[in-house]
Amino acid sequence: MNISSITRLTAALALTSAVAFGGDSHAIKVGKVITMAGEPIENGIVLIESGRITAVGPASEIQIPWDAEVFEAPNLVAFPGQVEACTSQGMDRANESIDVAPFLNVVDSVDPVNFFYEEMLRAGITTLNVQQGNSTVIAGRGMIVKPSGMTVAAMTVRPEAGIKIAITPKRGKSRAVQLMILREAFAGLRRTLEGLVQEANDGNDHARREALAQGRDFEAEDGKGRAMTGSGWIVEGLEAVPRASIDSKILPLLAIVEGRISVYMACSTPMDVLHGLEIAKENGFLAQTVLLLGPTCWKVSDEIKAAGVRGVILSSTLEHTERAPFAEEDTVTVLPTHFAEKGIPFALASQNSTTQSLWFQAARCVALGVDREVALAAITSGPAEVIGLSSEVGTIEKGKHGNLVLLSGDPLSLQTQVRYVFIEGKLTYDRTTDTRLQHLMDGVQPEGTSADEPVVEDIHEEERTAGDK
Amino acid sequence: MIYPGFLISCVLLALASPAPEAPKPVDLTVHADYLHVAPGEVVRNALIQIRDGKIASVLPGRSAPDGALTVHSIMAGMIDASARVTPGDVAVEQSKEVITNLSVTDSLDFFNPAWDRLARTGVTTTLIAPPDYNVVGGFSVVVKTSGPKRVAARVVNGASILRGAIGELPSAGNSPAFGRPTNFYARRPTTRMGVEWEWRKAFFDAAQSARFPDAEFEGADVLRACLAGDVRIFIQAWTTADIRTAVYLDEEMQAEGYGDLDIVIDAGAEAWKEPAFLVRTGTPVVLPPFPATGRLGERAFMPWDTGRKLTDLGIMIALSAHGETGLKERLSAQAGYAIRGGLTFDEALACVTTTPARLLGVEKQVGAVKSGMDADLVLWNGAPFSATSNIVGVVASGEVVLTPR
Repeated sequence: MNISSITRLTAALALTSAVAFGGDSHAIKVGKVITMAGEPIENGIVLIESGRITAVGPASEIQIPWDAEVFEAPNLVAFPGQVEACTSQGMDRANESIDVAPFLNVVDSVDPVNFFYEEMLRAGITTLNVQQGNSTVIAGRGMIVKPSGMTVAAMTVRPEAGIKIAITPKRGKSRAVQLMILREAFAGLRRTLEGLVQEANDGNDHARREALAQGRDFEAEDGKGRAMTGSGWIVEGLEAVPRASIDSKILPLLAIVEGRISVYMACSTPMDVLHGLEIAKENGFLAQTVLLLGPTCWKVSDEIKAAGVRGVILSSTLEHTERAPFAEEDTVTVLPTHFAEKGIPFALASQNSTTQSLWFQAARCVALGVDREVALAAITSGPAEVIGLSSEVGTIEKGKHGNLVLLSGDPLSLQTQVRYVFIEGKLTYDRTTDTRLQHLMDGVQPEGTSADEPVVEDIHEEERTAGDK
Repeated sequence: MIYPGFLISCVLLALASPAPEAPKPVDLTVHADYLHVAPGEVVRNALIQIRDGKIASVLPGRSAPDGALTVHSIMAGMIDASARVTPGDVAVEQSKEVITNLSVTDSLDFFNPAWDRLARTGVTTTLIAPPDYNVVGGFSVVVKTSGPKRVAARVVNGASILRGAIGELPSAGNSPAFGRPTNFYARRPTTRMGVEWEWRKAFFDAAQSARFPDAEFEGADVLRACLAGDVRIFIQAWTTADIRTAVYLDEEMQAEGYGDLDIVIDAGAEAWKEPAFLVRTGTPVVLPPFPATGRLGERAFMPWDTGRKLTDLGIMIALSAHGETGLKERLSAQAGYAIRGGLTFDEALACVTTTPARLLGVEKQVGAVKSGMDADLVLWNGAPFSATSNIVGVVASGEVVLTPR
C-alpha cells in the first residue's frame, strides 16, 4: 500500500463518517406543510437527507433520525419552492446577435452574483429555467439553475435544458425573414446530413481522415454512427456517419429534430403561434415544445389545445383588454380562466419583482376566478412539469429535492412573508439577515451606506467667544 | 379676481337648483355581505338604495331582494389625487414658467378610453393636474371618471387647487439662452435651483405687488390667494430635497409675513426620509405608486412601509396609482401594497377614499357610502384589497359601469 492509496482511504473514511454522523440529515418541523401533492399536513415534519426529501408527514407519524439537524418553526407554513418556468434574466446580455446560434450555451453567460437570483430567492423561487432572450431566431442552449451558489457549476440543476426559438421577429427583422431563417435552419440541417450520408456511402469519411491526419481518432461513442430518430423528417442511413463527423455547431439542431431537447417558443401574437406550431410539427419537435404566449394568443387556444404541445407559459399580463375601432366599450379577456376552461394547463411567469412575483401572479389568478389549487399548481408542480423536472421539484414529496419555503402565513396573502428558504435541504435564505429587503420594506439604510447630514463646524466660534467680555 | 374653479361652481349651482318633487322610486339596489361605509365602519348584510345618482339609504341587516346587485363586499368609489389622465404636453401652457390664470379643465378629453378603464378599476373621482413642464402649471380640476362626456357633467366643485413642481421636470429639456435669447425655445430655468428661484420670485413679486400697484402682473391675484390660504397648492416633489424645498418655501413666506401656503406634496416618495419637516408644517402627502425595486422617478427611493411610517407620525397621506389601470398597478393594488407595508385595512381604505376627498375638498360629496352622498361604489368578490380578491363591479353616480359577472 503506497502513500497515495492511504490518503485515498482516509479521505473515503472521512466521507463515510460525515454521512454516518449526520451533517447532511435535516428535519424541518412546521405548523403546516402544503405539499401540493395531496392534502396539507398540520404539524408536519419534512425529513431531508443528502438534499432529497426522505419523508413527509404529521409529527405523530414521523420518526426524526437521531443524527438529524432539527429546524423548528411551529408558526410557519412550508410550501414547495416555486418554479420559474422560463426567464431571460440573471445573464450577461440575454440576446445573441447571431440568428441561429444553438451551439452557444447560457452556461457562459449566467451570472451567479446577479441580484436577480437574490430577488428570486427572496420571493421563494428555488428553481429557474434560464433561457436566452426573445430577440433571436434559434438561441443558445439554456439551463435549469437554483438561485444559490457562487459559481455556475454550483447553481446547475440541469445543463442544456432547452433552446429558445422565437417566432416573433427579432429586432430589426420582418416576419417573413424571421420565418425564412428558421425554416432554412432545419432545411440546411437536413441537406448537411444527407450530404454526410452520401459522403459516407461514397467512402469519403473526411472528418475521420482529418482527425487521423491530426494524430487522433474519434472517441468510442462519437466514432459510431447512430440511426436518426424523430417524428418529423428522417435522413436514412445516418448510422453510417460517426456522430463526431457532424459539425458540433449543428448537433443541437439535430437534438431538436430528434426530440431530445425542449424548445421554448416565443410567440407574441396568435399568428406566431400558428406558424410556430406548423414549423414544430414539420420538424418533429411539437411534443417537446413549450409556448411562451403573449396576451393576445388566447385567440388560438383551440389550435394550441389540438396541437398537443408540452405546455404553455402565460406572460405577466393576466387580463387582455382591447377595443374594436368603432366599439364604445372594451372587451376584456381573463387569460388564466380562459385557458383553464379550455383545459390547457398553464404555468405562470414572474417579472422579477415583489409586485409581480409568482405568488402574486397566482393570487391574482384566484382573484380573477381561477380555482385556488389550479393557481398554486401554476407556480409549483405546473412549471416543474413544463420544464420536464416534475420528478425532482415542484412538490414536497419523498424523493424530490428538499426545496422548501417557510412562509409566515397563507401563500397567497399580501401580508405573508418568506421567512426561510431551504434548497436541497440547506438553509439558503433567512429574512432576518436580508439587509437589502430591510432597505426595501422598512427603509433601513444598510450600515455605512448613508451620508448623514453634514455637520458645519463654526471655525470662528473660539475667536468670537474669546472676544465676548 | 375669478378662478376657473369658482366659475365652474357657479355653472354647477345654476344647473343643480333643486325642484320640489314627490319622492321617486329607487333606481338601483345593491346588496353586500360587508359594507365598508367609511374607514372603521362596517355594516353587515347592507342594502344600499340609490336614487338620482345619490345614495338614498343604507339599510343594515337585510337580505338581498330580487333584482339587486349582490356581492361579498362594497366600499366607496376610490379617489385618485394624482390621476394624470391628460393628453400630454398640450395640456399645459408653457410660454411662461409660472402660469396661474389657466386651468387644465379645457384640455380634458372625455372621449379618451382611459376614463372608462380607470372607472372600471374602482376609481370614480380624480384630481387632474396640468403636466409638470413648467414651474407652476395652472389650476387642477376634480373630475368624475364616468358620466356624460361633457365638462359640466363631470367636474366636481371642490377646492381651488393650483399645480406646480419642484425637481427635474420643470427644467428638463430647457436650453439656456447663451448671450441674448434669440428665440422662444431658449427657456429657463435650466437647473433645479432655477426652479426653486422661480417659486420664490413668484410669491415675492405677488406679495410686493399688493403693496405697489404698479408692480401688479397677470396672475398675481392667484398667488396672493395662495398666500392667504384660499387656494391650495399641490407641488410635485419626489425626493427629500424637493420636499424640503417646498416646506422651506412655506416657512419663508410665513417668516416674511407674506402669508401661509396650503401645500400638499404630490408624489412625495421620500417623505419618509425627513418626516420632521412635514410634521412641523402639517403638510399632507400624496404617495406615488409603490415601486417593486424601491426606485422611482427622479431617482427617489420609497420603501414599502412608507405609509406605516408617515401615518405613525400623524402625517396625512393619500395613495395614488398615477392613473394606471393594470391589475398590479391600479389604485386598489396600491392599497394592498400599503397593507403589505404595514398599514391596517381601515388606514389603507382612508388613503384611497376619505383622505384624498379631504385633500380635494369634496369630502361632503364622495369618499364614503352614506345617504346623500354620490352613489359611487366599488363591488368586490372578496375582502377588499386582498391579493385574491378582485373588483367585480363599479357603480358611479348611480350608473353601473362594471357589471358583476
